[in-house]
Amino acid sequence: MLLEVNGLTKNFGGLAAVSQLDFHVNKGEITGLIGPNGAGKTTVFNLITGVFPSTRGQVVFDGTDITHKKPHQVARLGIGRTFQLNPLFGNFTVLENISASFHLHPSSSLLDIYFNTATYRRNEAYIMEQSLEISKLVGLDNVKHELAKNLPHGYQKMLGMARALATRPRLLLLDEPIAGMNPDEIDSALKNIRKTQQQGVTILIVEHNMQILDLCDRVVVISFGHKITEGLPQEVRGNEEVIKAYFGDEHAA
Amino acid sequence: MDMSDKQLSDMTPSKTATVQEKWIKLAITAGVVVLIALLPLLLTSPYMLHIFILTFIYTIAAVSLRTILTSGQFPLGHGAFMGIGAYSSAMIAKWLGWSPWLTIPVAALVTMGIGMLIGYPFARLRTLYYAMGSLFFGMGIIYIFYAGGSLTGGYSGLTGIPPLLPIGTSKVPYYYLFLGLALVSLLALYRFEFSRIGINLKAIAQSHLVASSVGINEGWYRILAVGVGCFFVGLAGAGYAHYTTVLSGNNFSFMATLWLVMYVLIGGKDSFAGPIIGTFILVLIPEFFRDLKIYTPFISAAILLIVVFIMPQGLVSLPKLVRSWFTEHRKGRRITHAS
Repeated sequence: MLLEVNGLTKNFGGLAAVSQLDFHVNKGEITGLIGPNGAGKTTVFNLITGVFPSTRGQVVFDGTDITHKKPHQVARLGIGRTFQLNPLFGNFTVLENISASFHLHPSSSLLDIYFNTATYRRNEAYIMEQSLEISKLVGLDNVKHELAKNLPHGYQKMLGMARALATRPRLLLLDEPIAGMNPDEIDSALKNIRKTQQQGVTILIVEHNMQILDLCDRVVVISFGHKITEGLPQEVRGNEEVIKAYFGDEHAA
Repeated sequence: MDMSDKQLSDMTPSKTATVQEKWIKLAITAGVVVLIALLPLLLTSPYMLHIFILTFIYTIAAVSLRTILTSGQFPLGHGAFMGIGAYSSAMIAKWLGWSPWLTIPVAALVTMGIGMLIGYPFARLRTLYYAMGSLFFGMGIIYIFYAGGSLTGGYSGLTGIPPLLPIGTSKVPYYYLFLGLALVSLLALYRFEFSRIGINLKAIAQSHLVASSVGINEGWYRILAVGVGCFFVGLAGAGYAHYTTVLSGNNFSFMATLWLVMYVLIGGKDSFAGPIIGTFILVLIPEFFRDLKIYTPFISAAILLIVVFIMPQGLVSLPKLVRSWFTEHRKGRRITHAS
């Protein structure tokens, strides 16, 4: 078990966005966290990565309690993430976006950076080389000198993923990686996700689009902040509770 | 790990063009520096030398303000931090008898320390809230200068500050001293911005959410930017104190901060050279049209409006703009010739 979430609860004022949520992510697998819009999926990501403090509960990553860690500390421990609305470093080029995300590996000391020492130059050369490689991996090498803000939506999504990969994560959290994409883009995005998994990265995907199910080894379904069910994709697909959550009562037959 | 040439050329599509551009920029910079260094040979009026010395000091202050700006924070108390540098250096030198050569770097460190200390709680504030927070902090500092009694000279100001060079020294040595200080400071700030530290700051400014998700410690980097910016504005302030040898809280009021902001905006906030150009234009122009001096705020506002409408990237983008006008014009002529 790489990630374990126990009794996670988040109240926004009187509203419980997430309540008493338990689930886990097995090492090496792709786990889907699905549910209709407004189910609290993105909130779960923000709680895991420390963007918001949780009201109650515990998040354990690879044996370390990360419940009260800040976002940059969580990243340092090996959790990379993308964002649903996909904010980017808009005024950086694609390559600069990726290399700016190489903050952690390798990291140079402030003095090394400031005095442009051999260590720093070596690290920078390595970062450039690796950034190019990642841009090729996700299929962005033909637009690598474009400003991120000028890219079409699908490319921006890929860039978000490339950026997360640059942190060299052990666990990658993808927030709606195929939302708003056309079928071709979905195809290549799914391929990229699969490729990333094959390189040994554990993945947790938040998605409301059921198309993502084919990719998952395990699925956790939540609705209104509660877990409805979890299991294999084919089990979940036929689950009455899930159909009810997605389509309402009258469709469950 | 060495990169192959192929990868290098991969990264810079028009490598030769950018290298050429870099040399042109370097040549222009060197030319301007030499010109300014030779200026005292032509310019014998002590008053004009005095104006240039002030320009050098304000250049450091304006560029250091922009350093904080690159991290996405909008400081409106920067003039007051210049005052902290000035007053602390002046007071240590005057009341403890230390040499100004020692108190100036000490005062810069003091300013940096106070800036970082204040930066810690302020790192939680963003945008307008940060601006207002720093504004009122700056105003508070000015009142401390006024309320300091005989220690700070109160409302009548601090006088009898030990000068940097022996009394009776002409303006020329001061001119070269402050030119040197400005060059060293600008070089240090340039290096800061165009290293990975600067990249991280610009990343935070564009999206703090993304920046922290890739492991950049947002709070620490923002405090670092404030610390470095305050160090250099403190240095400028301390130099100012031992050059003019008199200080008043007025020198560092909110108006002083606004002028620094003006230098940055008119010159161009997105470019390192922007605030340098902005400071030279706004400090020197009123001196050449002395009769118009009382209208300086109006003229500056007019320049700002013109800049915002015609050159949103500031005066620094003027050459590029002229070049594009020129090529447009030539293109137009060629078409009329052809018809």
